[in-house]
Formats: sequence, C-alpha cells, structure tokens
Amino acid sequence: MKTEKILEVKNLKQYFKLNRNTIIKAVDDISFDIYQGEIFGLVGESGSGKSTTGRSIINIYQPTGGEIYYRGKLISDPKTYRANKKFINRNMQIIFQDSTSSLNSRMTINEIIEEPLLIQKIYKNKEERRKKVHELLDIVGMDKIYQNHYPFECSGGQRQRVGIARALSLDPEFIIADEPIASLDVSIQAQIVNLFKKLQHKNGLTCLFISHDLAMVRYVCDRVAVMYHGKIVELAETKELYRNPVHPYTKALFSSILVPDPDGAKERTRIKYDLHIDIHSKETSHLTDYTEVSAGHFVYCC
Amino acid sequence: MELQYSDFDIVGENYLAEETIIDEKPALKKSLQKKPYASLAILLIIILGCVFSGVTMNHQPTYMDLGNINVAPDSTFYFGTDSLGRDIYSMIWYGGRISLFIGILATLISTSIAVVYGSISGLSSELIDDMMMRFTEVALSIPSILIIIFIQAMIGQANPLSISVIIGITSWMNISKIVRSEVRQIRNSEYIWAAKCCGGKFFYILKRHLLPNFISAIMFMVVMNIGSAIATESTLSFLGIGLPIEIVSWGSMLSLAEKALLSNYWWIILIPGAFLIVTLVCITNIGDYVRKINNKEFSNL
Amino acid sequence: MSNNLLEVKHLMVSFTTEEGEVQAVRDVSFSLKRGEILAILGESGCGKTVLCKSILRILPENGSIKSGDIILNENNLLKLSPNSMNKVRGKEISMIFQDPMTLLNPTIPIGKQIMEAVMIHQKISKSAAKKKSIELMELVGIDDAEKRHAQYPHHFSGGMRQRSVIAIALACNPKVLIADEPTTALDVTIQAQILDLIQELQERTGISIIFITHDLGVAAKIAQRIAIMYAGKIVEIGTAQDIFYDPLHPYTWGLMSSLPKMDSDEELLDCISGMPPNLLHLPQGDAFANRNKYALKIDYLAEPPMFKISETHSAATWLLHQDAPKIQPPVRF
Repeated sequence: MKTEKILEVKNLKQYFKLNRNTIIKAVDDISFDIYQGEIFGLVGESGSGKSTTGRSIINIYQPTGGEIYYRGKLISDPKTYRANKKFINRNMQIIFQDSTSSLNSRMTINEIIEEPLLIQKIYKNKEERRKKVHELLDIVGMDKIYQNHYPFECSGGQRQRVGIARALSLDPEFIIADEPIASLDVSIQAQIVNLFKKLQHKNGLTCLFISHDLAMVRYVCDRVAVMYHGKIVELAETKELYRNPVHPYTKALFSSILVPDPDGAKERTRIKYDLHIDIHSKETSHLTDYTEVSAGHFVYCC
Repeated sequence: MELQYSDFDIVGENYLAEETIIDEKPALKKSLQKKPYASLAILLIIILGCVFSGVTMNHQPTYMDLGNINVAPDSTFYFGTDSLGRDIYSMIWYGGRISLFIGILATLISTSIAVVYGSISGLSSELIDDMMMRFTEVALSIPSILIIIFIQAMIGQANPLSISVIIGITSWMNISKIVRSEVRQIRNSEYIWAAKCCGGKFFYILKRHLLPNFISAIMFMVVMNIGSAIATESTLSFLGIGLPIEIVSWGSMLSLAEKALLSNYWWIILIPGAFLIVTLVCITNIGDYVRKINNKEFSNL
Repeated sequence: MSNNLLEVKHLMVSFTTEEGEVQAVRDVSFSLKRGEILAILGESGCGKTVLCKSILRILPENGSIKSGDIILNENNLLKLSPNSMNKVRGKEISMIFQDPMTLLNPTIPIGKQIMEAVMIHQKISKSAAKKKSIELMELVGIDDAEKRHAQYPHHFSGGMRQRSVIAIALACNPKVLIADEPTTALDVTIQAQILDLIQELQERTGISIIFITHDLGVAAKIAQRIAIMYAGKIVEIGTAQDIFYDPLHPYTWGLMSSLPKMDSDEELLDCISGMPPNLLHLPQGDAFANRNKYALKIDYLAEPPMFKISETHSAATWLLHQDAPKIQPPVRF
C-alpha cells in the first residue's frame, strides 16, 4: 500500500551537550520515510534514541542536523517551521507514555480534551466544543460521565485514552505515539492497541508508533525500524523483518522476546549482541552503510 | 445458598448494569474546614467599614475643627480628635480606603511583574535565566526602602497612585524567584509540550498551565505583600515623605505620631496603630492558612 | 518434613483508608514447595505485592492482616514477636523489588552494602565478609568483582544494580526469595539475562522463589507453577503447563488472548473489556463477572469456590461446577 509520503526524515541528528567535553549523540544520522495511512514502528531499548526521534520530529527539540519534511514542507528549520506552524499544529500530534505527567492534574478531562480546540479556535461556542468532546470520548471508548473528573480519579488506561482523545481532537492526519502502552496492564494494552488499529482503518490515521514491546509492534505496525545507539540498524516491513532479521542486533533483540509458552520458552536459545564484537561479524561485514537486502528491507552496518 | 439449575445460564458481561459510583471529592472540602474564621470576619468588617465609609463616618474626616483639638475619646468623638481637630473615628474608615487601595494596587503591580518576569526567566535558556536571576539578586540586596525613598524624592509630591506604583515596582523580586523555581519544575511536563504542539503561545501556557500550578505557592507571598505595602506606606508617611497630611490614610495619620508621643495624646497614635496592626495580623493569618492548604493539597501530585 | 516450605492459609489483608476499608487480599491460600519457582501473575492493583509484603510483615501502617496463617517450616510467622520476625527477614526470607534503588544506598559502595548484609545475620570477621561479598558478586554475574567492589551504585547500569540487589538478598543464604517484578524496569535483552540468572541461581542454591510479575511471557519462562490473581483472590493455580495449555478460568483466557500472537494475522486482539473492580466497592458475587463474556447468572449472586481439577490444578469459577454448561476455551497455544 505504498502511497504518498507523509513524512520524510533525512540524516536527522540530535545531539545533547552535557557539559563542555561530553556530547550525547541521542540520534545519530537516521533517515526514514512514513507513508500515508501506515503505522510505522520504531523499536529499541531505552536510550536508543527512539523517543528523541519522535520529539525532534514534532519540534520539541530543535534538531542538531538533518532535515525533516512533512508533506514536502521543510519543518526542521526554525524559520520554515514558524511559517508552517499552524499547518503543523493542526496535522501532527503527540501522545506521551506517562499519562500522569502528560495531563495537567488541575484540569478536568473535558478541559484537557478541548484545549487544542480552544487554542486553534475551531469552534465558536461552548455547545459545539462540548459535542466534539463527547464524540472524542466515544471514539476512545470512554463514558461521558468522566468529562468532569480529574485525571487522578481515573485509572491508567483511562488516562491514556484521554491523552489519545486530546491528540485526536484536531483531527490530525499524523500522530506520534511515544510508548503509549508501556505503562499499562496487559488487558488494557490490548484495548489501546485495538483502538490504534481502528483509528488507522476508520479515520485513515498515520502513526509513528514508538515502543520497546516487540510483540505488540509486530501486531500493530506495517513497517518497523529497529534503533540501537542512535542509529537505525534495520528497517523493513513487519512480516519480512520478523521472518528474516538480518542485523545481529535485531536477531539478539528478537531472541529475547519471551513467548507465553512454558515448554517452548525453555528450548529457545538467546543470541547475545555486543556492539564492539559484532561490528565486524561475518554476516554483515560485506555490507557498508545501508544495504537493501530485499525490496524495502534495509540493513545498516556500522 | 440453594443452587438452582437456572443459575447456570450464560448471561455474559455486565448482566447487572452496575451503577457507576462517582465519588465526590471529600479531601478538598476537608481542607477548607479549618479556615481562619476570626481573621476573615475582622478583616471583612474593616474592609466593609472602609468601603462604605460614607455610612460609618459620623464627622467629615477632612474637616479641621479647630475648636476641638486633641479631644480625648468621648461620646461625640468616639476615638478622640487629632492635633488638627479631625475626628479620628471617621478618619480611620476614610483613610482605610486609601491604605487598602495602596496595599492592593501595589500588590497587583508587583505580582504581575513577578509572574511575567519569573515565567520568562523560568522558561528561557540557562544563560538568560541566570542573567535575570542575578539581576533580582542585585535588586534584592539593596534595601527596598532606600530605593523607594530615592524614587519618591525624585518624583516629589506623592499621591496614592504614585506611592502604589513605587511600592509595586520595588517589591516583586521575592515572588518572581518563587515563580521562576516553580516554572522550572513544571516546564518540562509533557502537558506543556502537548499544549505547545497544538499551537499554544507563551501567554496561553502561562495562563492555563503555569499560573494554576504556582498560584497557590505564591498566594502566601501575595497576601503578605498587601500587608507589607500598607506598612511601607505608613513608614513613608511616618518619615514624612509619604502622603501629605491633607490626604488621610492610616500612614499619614501616624505621621502625626511624633508630636502626639511628646504630649499625652495616646489616642492619636494608638488607635490608628491598633487598626493597622489588627489588619496586618488578619492578613498574615489568612496568608499563613493559604500556605498551609497549598502544602497539604497538592504536595503529592 | 513436608514438601511444602511455605504455606499461606486463608490470608485476609485490608487497608483502612479515608474512604473505607480496602480488601487487598481476600482469602488467599497457596503453598511454596522446596526448590521451586512460583510465579504470582496479576495486573496492577490485584494485591500481589500486598500478599508478599504480608508474608514478610512489612505492610504500611494502615494495612493489617485480618486473619489467616503463614507457616514457614512449621513456624507461624504471624505469631512471631517483632524481634524474632526481624531474624526471619533476610535470613529465612528476602525480597527484591522492581526498582533496585529502593534497596541500594547511593552514598555507599556496592561491595560494602553487600558486606553489611552478610554481617547482619552472621557473626564473621570483616575480611571473611569481604571475601563472601566478592563471591556473591561473582555468583550473580558481576564481572571484575574485586574492582567493582568499591564502586558506587551510580557506576552500575540498571541490570547490574538489579544483580547487586540479588546478591544482597542472597547474602544470608535465605530459604525463600520473594522477587517483586524484578525485571519490569529493564530492557528486554537485560530482562532475559536477569531471568537466566535467577533460574541458574535457583538450580545452584536450591532456594525457593516467589516471583511476582504481570508478564505472561516472564512467568512462562521462569516458573514451574503459576498462581493467577484477580481483585485480591487467587483465581487459578497450577503448573505452568496447566495454566498455559489448559487454562480454566475466563480471566486467564482473557489474559492469554490479549497477547499478540507471533504467528497469526488477526486484525484485532481479543481483549477483556472494562476495568478491574474497585477494591473499595467490590460487587456481589464473582469480582470478574462484569468483564466475563461467559459469566453465569450465579456469578452475580455468589462467589465461586476453588474447584480442584487435578492434583496440581485448581480454579475458582462456576464454569467448573457440574451443572454449568461446558465451554470451549477460546485460546489455544
């Protein structure tokens, strides 16, 4: 379903200066495209730079280098970002992992969800706004009675739904979901994941899905990029990647997935990966930079 | 319990639609129980008395009755008269208006400066933040009364408005330091990012997210500032650089104190002084209460 | 000597809060055999941590054990004096937590903290304690133990900190180790390493482990037996094979079907609708009834007892009653 490119990330670099001598390369020269209507997964362990990538795209951090194009418009440069600010704000939204810190504890659910509507002045009167909030609560599967509750009166799953409702309130076409299910229980995770799939099919939502849960990513995403130490080491369509991982790190990562199968679990062998040993491992040593091992399947060798 | 065969029908989820219990929030109500009622009542009486001074007064406060100078409290002059023959009882209500006006206006000015300055400092980069905070420290290190006297001396004749402005622009530093540290704490909250990502501008974020979060933290200082502004005005008047004697305020009434102390006319100084102190104590009490509920209510959120 | 090292019988724990009494653990019974790993599996707020804290009697002040017995080696822990209970903690039972930093003091070198743990219950000299602590560090897989002995917790990565905490917990050769979500905060690759370590330690030292987790995959990997908790009760208990290949309770079915399957192409995950009940206002009957697709009328009237299906496997659901309709479990592995 290759359609129009919605987002292009080219050689994105995001460095943080810790002090005079130390620079942290959180994201180090990565490139990928996201197509209209797909859920693109970004997986990796903590500190691999996947959340930073999401935040750089939506301009929470000003990228150190590289370009980000949204619908062909350059948005990584402060000047062009400002020129397109309204367009970006309307069409690109973010969902955070920690629903406690992403919702202002002094605002009711209703106030939180209608905030973007107020800022963008989309509806003139209160009645219309209220109707939209009810509609959004309905989409994310929450009862109307919660609209006057405060976030601390809701459970983690409900708070995450509120975060999703807020992100959806401007009907954006692209959402960055930064670990949206990491802090939830298994049964609630499934509910939220189903919600994303429904939004993709019904509303044609495009999504950058950042997660460390490889099993869920396989389920939700159409294409997946694996990040390690600020680099994308492998990028492919989900099925292809899970069937045929090439990069040793991807292999190591997949071998660590725990399957809910007690007999099977004991037979599995884990592959260990050490950056410094495996750089020149035989399998990838003939690859330089990005290599397309099969159509749409890219592997990076450092 | 007797089991029946029909009990084993499959009925599925939500068979008994359970009514959702929406809990009221008892915690908030509880914290409001220990209000400083006495202080509130007294302050309210004083404020109402001042606002409706037309009703409470029984003499013209500015009229100098030269036939009745330094009369001790009696049935016509409840609190006596001063050395210019003005009725102290009426002057207290009338003058209270000006004192409270100065207190509130000066606090409004200082708080608005503090909130904007503190928020800008809290939100900006390390370098600008450092520079702005060093500036407040320099300003704080000079005794504010000195600056006030200096500015007042340059302006010349004082009136209630100019005094409020001068007090206002010299007493915002402490509040702005608190605002700045609170903003530093919450500025990286994800809900602020979320507001920015849908286009919220500085003043929107300030009003909607920052202010509600630090208002309770600075409320104590703000209430106290009202008291200290009234006290500063009195001090200035006592020193003879405040309001002229013709403009009645609690401060300008006290400026006669020097002479009154030398003679035996205790009522000229003690009664306005007592009013001033009672008002300040009430304000302090309320400020203290505000600080307490702030610490209790949102300390763990 | 019986085969059961630790037995918990009809344990009831509740918390008094401003809004009322929260029944965190309701009539829980289970036993821990010598040298086994028992996983207690449940979602947040189901009472699994409270259960383990009551075994060690380290509940917060507003929590109290209402009734029940906890028997370790024929000693009833609930009848011990606070002093003798102190001796049990660490020496007989130790506990490790999700966040290793709750146990580590950031201002003291790791090695010294392990030494202290060694010396609390054993009267040995400092040099012997140091030797023992280095052995422990090697045991839990910290390389270069002698060098890292003097390092502070902030020099250690998350996985290494969790290893050091395990070393501290093992310092006095306890018989039971309670591990409260020790791998939840870790990355998948590190998680797998720590799980391997715990399994290896269990085999080497013969210690019995209660492993609290919310992750079915972790439970499947590590445990010989699994107890599933929901709303303060154990709803199903059995060997790992029982639970995964022949689950009986509808809640277990729900949990299994909410997991993404690695080899299917279904569009939507089956999920349990609704949310766990509020332990303050527990509904009448089975607490899970409201979220249960297969709920029987009786589920709304009376709480189901434990039905024993085999020597190892029991579950608390009315579906196992002789009069109940037979339902094919919707999950297959």
